[in-house]
Amino acid sequence: MIQIKDLKKAYSGVIVVNIPELEIKKGESVGLVGNNGAGKTTLFRMILDLIRPDTGTVTSNGEPVAGGEKWKNYTAAYLDEGFLIDYLTPEEYFYFIGGLHQLSHAHVDDFLSQHADFFNGEILNRGKYIRDLSKGNQAKVGIVSCLLQQPELFMLDEPFANIDPTTQFRLKNLIKEQAAKGVTTFVSSHDLNHITDVCDRILLMEKGKIIKDLATNSSTLDELEHYFAIGQVGAPAAPELRIDPEENH
Amino acid sequence: MIKTFLKHEFKAFWRSKNAGKSLAIRIVMALLILLLMLYVVAAGFFMGPILKKVFPHDSVIFSFCGFVLVFFVFDLFSRIQLQELPTLRVQPYLQLPIKRNAIVGYLTFTGLFSVFNLWPVLLFWPFIFRHLLPASGSLASFSFIVAIFGLSIFNNYLALYLKRKSNLNGWVFLLITAVMILLIMGDLEWHLYSIRNISYLFFGNVLKYPMLSIVPLVLAAAMFYINFLYLKQNLYLEELRARKEKFKSSTDFPILSYFGPVGDLVANEVKLILRNKRPRSALVMSLLFMFYGLIFYSNPGMKNSEGFKVFAGMFMTGIFMINYGQFMYSWQASHFDGLMVSKISFSDFLKAKYLMFSTAATTAFILTTPYVYFGWRVLVIHLMMYLWNMGVTTTIVLYFANRNARRIDLGKGASFNWEGVGASQWILSLVLMLPPFVIYIPLKMLGLTEVALTALGAIGLIGILTRSFWIKILEADFHKRKFSILEGFRNK
Repeated sequence: MIQIKDLKKAYSGVIVVNIPELEIKKGESVGLVGNNGAGKTTLFRMILDLIRPDTGTVTSNGEPVAGGEKWKNYTAAYLDEGFLIDYLTPEEYFYFIGGLHQLSHAHVDDFLSQHADFFNGEILNRGKYIRDLSKGNQAKVGIVSCLLQQPELFMLDEPFANIDPTTQFRLKNLIKEQAAKGVTTFVSSHDLNHITDVCDRILLMEKGKIIKDLATNSSTLDELEHYFAIGQVGAPAAPELRIDPEENH
Repeated sequence: MIKTFLKHEFKAFWRSKNAGKSLAIRIVMALLILLLMLYVVAAGFFMGPILKKVFPHDSVIFSFCGFVLVFFVFDLFSRIQLQELPTLRVQPYLQLPIKRNAIVGYLTFTGLFSVFNLWPVLLFWPFIFRHLLPASGSLASFSFIVAIFGLSIFNNYLALYLKRKSNLNGWVFLLITAVMILLIMGDLEWHLYSIRNISYLFFGNVLKYPMLSIVPLVLAAAMFYINFLYLKQNLYLEELRARKEKFKSSTDFPILSYFGPVGDLVANEVKLILRNKRPRSALVMSLLFMFYGLIFYSNPGMKNSEGFKVFAGMFMTGIFMINYGQFMYSWQASHFDGLMVSKISFSDFLKAKYLMFSTAATTAFILTTPYVYFGWRVLVIHLMMYLWNMGVTTTIVLYFANRNARRIDLGKGASFNWEGVGASQWILSLVLMLPPFVIYIPLKMLGLTEVALTALGAIGLIGILTRSFWIKILEADFHKRKFSILEGFRNK
């Protein structure tokens, strides 16, 4: 589905992403973990052709994403609120996105009613613009609008960050359902429990590089916890790692 | 504290990613202002002889007394149009242990730093020192200086206050401008009263009783205080608004769904304009400018000059493109990432812009048809300029939109978001206003008035017919700049 070759991006001399080779196969469900500043969001943005890589290419279904329009037809992503049109009501936004994929209003309504649980009564018919919703509820709008597009590639950047525990569980099920349908999912998260639960394959990023590529099994969570628990009592120190204080977009 | 604020603002200016662009604009502005100042100083220096020439029967000082207040009326008028509001992003400071008065005081005080406050000094001081000092003595001169100082401060804060009011509600701007025009018309056209006579009365008495010069000073202090209070109250504006939240209903524009995805994009943009304060006031301003023709066409001096009609026609049918279009695509900055990832081809995106501009220009053209009262020729000129705007201005606006990477945050802090309508905006619109005259004036000089008009209309028509070609060019151009635009828009 996605092929990455020699992908590099540096901001003022600091390498943010450096991936010589990565392939994500159709139907895989991939999780991306790493500390702040590891380059997760930058990688996502390059896959979506929002940032120009310094070198290298990203191809999606055999076609380079850069300058192309075809991948937009089967890719749905929600990285942050910047993906939502915030002066629309959620309904208007869904109709708009649905309209781009030739879905009628009735079709969209029907689809939304399937996700009434996920919305938990806080999204539809509340008489609010998207900008008036809380960050968590905005994320719900973004996630469902992705599903509405019936994508083959589904990308989420830290979807568990702002949503309540109930929704987190529902979201996990949604992602699993998609994966079961054969949709390629690519999700980043700081929540190791959730990500190992949802994904078959975990990529661990550090300073722009993918340093671990694990197939999820019963020991993956331990392995990851071990890696992240630096400087904690009872964990071995890894002196070469420095954690950036802020996310470096 | 004020020093810290100044330092922060200085940093904010230099560290913003668009510093280069706004710096360039500022340099152009500074040069223009310098030039203007030179003229003003010259006018101030030779004011004595000038006044003598205009009012040969009165003493120079007497005519001067009559002129001062008239100046300040026009000063107020131009301040309301052009003076920029001082801004400080107050949110990060509000919860810190900084006195609210310090924040508000800073905002109010920095309102004084404006070239407008320099003009009275440049214009009047030379006269006061050359003519008033020898004739009426130092006390009277000093009291004049105090009174003029007071009046300019008063005007300064009155203009800022009105601007802030109108920023929250576009209609206030309409109202203020109408009142100002009525005020001036009341004197010059209808002779209901005379600002000059009031000016004689006041400044004549200042000559006799220097203590009177305190009156403007008191007025200025009061206006300062009103501003201060207003700002202080409005630090809470967000909270006040949240309490009376209205139910926001979803709307549909069935006509636009004819156009498919392009229509959907236009529908979104219409909602953008109607649901956000800044673009909404751009729209209201554009409607206000429909009355622009009255100034031009009713003026006997301009009645017979077609150049002014071309200007007015261009302006009235194209004002929305100029006013709203020059901030394109910044209006959509906050969700541009989403648009780029969605299943929208950029040519559809551009087509939507053309469709919106065309609708706006057509509406403006229809609204200005009553000007046919001033002769059929006016309508013909409007039609030509309408075609020009549809064919040429649209493409120029979109060309510049490809070069604009400045983020506008529509959703955030509407109450303290005062960027927008200021002098720098008008400079950008000059670029859009000039091209038709490059064609019109030379042809007219050759006596080919009809040819000049036809040429404008024809070029516009060609522009309309070749739109798909321009869309292709704009699209290719956009893809070259896409990443820097996206980066600029992400830069909060």
